[in-house]
Amino acid sequence: MKRKTASILSALLVCFTSAVSFSAETIKIGALYPMSGRGGLYGQDSEAAIKIALAEVNAKGLPGGKKLEAIVTDDQSKPALAVTLAKRYITEDKVKFLYGVVSSGAALAVTEVSKEYKTIFVGTDHAATDLTANAFQKYYFRVSNNTFQSMAAGAMYMRDEMKGAKKIAYIGPDYAYGKDQIAELKYSLGKLGVQYEMVGEFWPKLYEPDYTSYITAIIKAKPDVLVAGFWGGDTVAFIKQAKAYGLFDKMKYFHPDGGGNYEVFSTLGAECPEGLIMSARHHNNWPDTKENKDFVAKFKKATGRYPSYAAEGAYAGILVIAEAIRKVGNADDTEALIKAMEGMKLKLPEDPAGFTSYIDPKTHQMVQAQAIGVTVKNDKFPPAKYMLGKFKVYPADKIMPTQEYIDILTKSKKK
Amino acid sequence: MNDKFTTMTPWLAYFLIFGSMIFVGGDHTIHIASQIIILGLFALSFNVLFGTTGLLSFGQAIFYGLGAYITGMMAKSLGGDFFLWALLIAPVAAIGLSVVLGTLSLRLSDVYFTMLTLAFAQLVWGVSVKWSDFTGGDDGIQAIPKPDLLAGGLNYYIFSFIIATLCIYLLWRLDRSPFGAVLKGIRQNPTRISFIGMNVFRHKLLAYMISSCFTAIAGGLYAGIDKSIHPDMFVWTMSGSIILMTILGGMRSFFGPLIGVAVFILLEDVIGRSTQYWSFVIGAIMITVVLLFPKGIVGISRHFAVLFAKKGGRLDNP
Amino acid sequence: MSFEIFISQFFGGLSVAMLLFLVASGLTLIFGVAKVFNFAHGSFYMIGAYFSYQAIALFDNFWIGAVAAAIGAGLVGMLLEVCFIRRIAGREEEGAFQILLTYAFILILDDAVKFIWGPAYKTISKPESLAGSMDFGAVTIPTYNVFIILLGLVIVVSAWYVLSRTRTGKIIQAASTDTQMVGMLGVNVSLVMSLVFGVATAMGGLAGAMAAPLRTVAPGTGVEVIIDSLIVVVIGGLGNFWGALFAALLIGEVNAFGILWMPQWASLLSFAVMIVVLIFKPKGLFSREKGRKKI
Repeated sequence: MKRKTASILSALLVCFTSAVSFSAETIKIGALYPMSGRGGLYGQDSEAAIKIALAEVNAKGLPGGKKLEAIVTDDQSKPALAVTLAKRYITEDKVKFLYGVVSSGAALAVTEVSKEYKTIFVGTDHAATDLTANAFQKYYFRVSNNTFQSMAAGAMYMRDEMKGAKKIAYIGPDYAYGKDQIAELKYSLGKLGVQYEMVGEFWPKLYEPDYTSYITAIIKAKPDVLVAGFWGGDTVAFIKQAKAYGLFDKMKYFHPDGGGNYEVFSTLGAECPEGLIMSARHHNNWPDTKENKDFVAKFKKATGRYPSYAAEGAYAGILVIAEAIRKVGNADDTEALIKAMEGMKLKLPEDPAGFTSYIDPKTHQMVQAQAIGVTVKNDKFPPAKYMLGKFKVYPADKIMPTQEYIDILTKSKKK
Repeated sequence: MNDKFTTMTPWLAYFLIFGSMIFVGGDHTIHIASQIIILGLFALSFNVLFGTTGLLSFGQAIFYGLGAYITGMMAKSLGGDFFLWALLIAPVAAIGLSVVLGTLSLRLSDVYFTMLTLAFAQLVWGVSVKWSDFTGGDDGIQAIPKPDLLAGGLNYYIFSFIIATLCIYLLWRLDRSPFGAVLKGIRQNPTRISFIGMNVFRHKLLAYMISSCFTAIAGGLYAGIDKSIHPDMFVWTMSGSIILMTILGGMRSFFGPLIGVAVFILLEDVIGRSTQYWSFVIGAIMITVVLLFPKGIVGISRHFAVLFAKKGGRLDNP
Repeated sequence: MSFEIFISQFFGGLSVAMLLFLVASGLTLIFGVAKVFNFAHGSFYMIGAYFSYQAIALFDNFWIGAVAAAIGAGLVGMLLEVCFIRRIAGREEEGAFQILLTYAFILILDDAVKFIWGPAYKTISKPESLAGSMDFGAVTIPTYNVFIILLGLVIVVSAWYVLSRTRTGKIIQAASTDTQMVGMLGVNVSLVMSLVFGVATAMGGLAGAMAAPLRTVAPGTGVEVIIDSLIVVVIGGLGNFWGALFAALLIGEVNAFGILWMPQWASLLSFAVMIVVLIFKPKGLFSREKGRKKI
């Protein structure tokens, strides 16, 4: 090693220290999203939605003439990186809010940072029930629905619309997201007294390229309903592959959490089978309210494409934050901001007429209605050729996690 | 005099830079420095196998994750004071596991060795995710308690720095010892080594055990930085990034891997802030380094040293 | 287990295996014959799918898409080989730097694809002629899967024939084993290596285009196939196309039946198989490679 090595290392030292400049005029939000890889679509859509929301709230104005601003960084869906970035946001960029996060694993790690640094964390995408249940801490808020809500609505749908179905099979990616969904469905079905028989559970890995052997096994198991727990590209791949085997003629396909996300429809186009029963965290074509239409149109204008579900959550969170700041008068009194957010009612694009979303004061979970629909021909949102229709709506307060379930989670996850 | 100087300079630079962090650094800087020193230890242990002995193991993340999970799970169930005990138990467990895995893998050569270590690594990762009742699965483990003395970023950095420095010193002595020389000989010409009567397999196994031991310590230390761990630490891409950082920094010189880790982490930090196309930028930088500096980043310094070398200056490894 | 279930899982496993082989075939050429650590093989698979998507968007023809994929990926591969990989040939730690270089390719190609086509998922449909399915009593096989099986067989036979029965193939094999000697015989070794690299990446791209109708085209999908391809190549013995085919069949069928018998652990079976194979046959099942690159 030479002295020149030392000078290289010293030069690197300069990179360590970075000047922190912040304008007294802006309130900063530190957002973490995947901006590359498979999750990149959700990050990009979220960023676009954030920009739309910021323009709106800044136009309306905030106390003290301050402006709301968001920094978006790629967390690559890695928990360790998300934590590093979250801490940097707080200590260097002096953000007042942590924001976003698609991966539930990363969210669970970031919520600890939020707790340690007493910084409000508004989750807009990750759906693991834990964060508003057993892993709850008071600085955390979630403005999109969790998997319990989707599956509880799903259980009600099964009770009401699938009376003849006796045999169920489940296929989902082999990690917490896939496992939690079926556990929650089973719990809710049990609570509703629905009788069923589980004829098979299938666990392909996340991003499994080839579902063929799973498809043949599922067909041979002859369930009445196949419940699916995929997201994103896996949903598309499974549907494409299963269609060729005629799976959808042999059984109902039921995908209550992320099956009906818009990106599935825009990718499948005309290949989408009819009659799949799915839901999503946000639908571009439901509810048919002015707020939803405006939101979708604004997004289309800004980006040239229709939004995936992630956008609505990212949009809603900014509105919640702005509203809280207005109520409190500033962005510094964290305890007051928390109080302001608890119970906050805000009309969101995904609210059906006559209902307004609100944040549950006890669990900080946004309480929203869920709509489950069936795929029908619809080319109003190109490049999609099918969208969901014939919606059945489930009331928001009936699908919240019960205290009993929270206790079950606490015991099983030792948190 | 010249010799001692070239030997001591890197250590001086090491203490200067990492030591000064204690007085100079802000929260984020300390956080980054902690990551660099701990991942640096991981890379340096890995290089005992790779740069020194010529064994490309794609599975060192097994021991890294093992260290992290033993530490994390013990501290969580027994309390923060057991954190330190866990740091002692983890390397022992790693050595035990490495004897089994090493005996099975080291019989194989080159790419087959690499693939077998990769297969073991993916298997361990798969178990860590699926056995979620025991390990928490891919929810990971959060809020790992530490002893009060180590609470706070700065204190923990000092602690990690001390432990890592001890380990790095041991690895350094190993590198310069006759044992290290035999390992280097094995890389260059295993047949000749066995002809002098040395048991090649036994040396490789020892190298594997030593590497795994210090890797597990690095993993255990990591558990305390953010007090949160995740099965990510077992994934092949974790081993992969350590391999990349080692080659980038320079695998034939002792401190090369540490430099590679530092450069990579700093690049990610700085570039990640400015653009969402960080992937492209880092890829471009890597290509530049590869094309221009055959010895890795360490080679950059050597390049300048050649340009400015005084007569009689020495240019080989410290 | 009934005969029906057995047959249907068997043919399912066969489909999986052939697609796996298709993707891995380029890698066994690059890794086993040309002896280049091409970590980025999956990225050529990915850009092949994108080239195919773009060609289909322009010309609305699946087969043009396939050709575009092969040519596009092959050209990009050759470009990268000439500009970068060739420059580190002969270095002492060539193998290690190939790893680093090809990893850099992955990073660059991922962002390039995201930049050019955007982050939204893309799709490719099967061609009309292959869109149906064939029924054999209890078993249904989509026509497209039958096509893939036939394509895989064509590839393995052609590759084996070219490499071991033609003069070109023997030159290629010789050139990677003993570069100097072959160079002295008047063969332009650099050109041969670039061409082989190009063919291998073209095969990867073609596989991407062929697999795309069954999968999703998205950034980052390259890294997802590299591990499975490596497993197939190593179990089969580097450079051995028949070996790779056999390995793919082994993995495909073990997986197909594993799903029935141990659904929780089925996804780990390919690793278990590789471990068992390597413990008992340390150079893969049918290795024929001589001389390894020193790292």
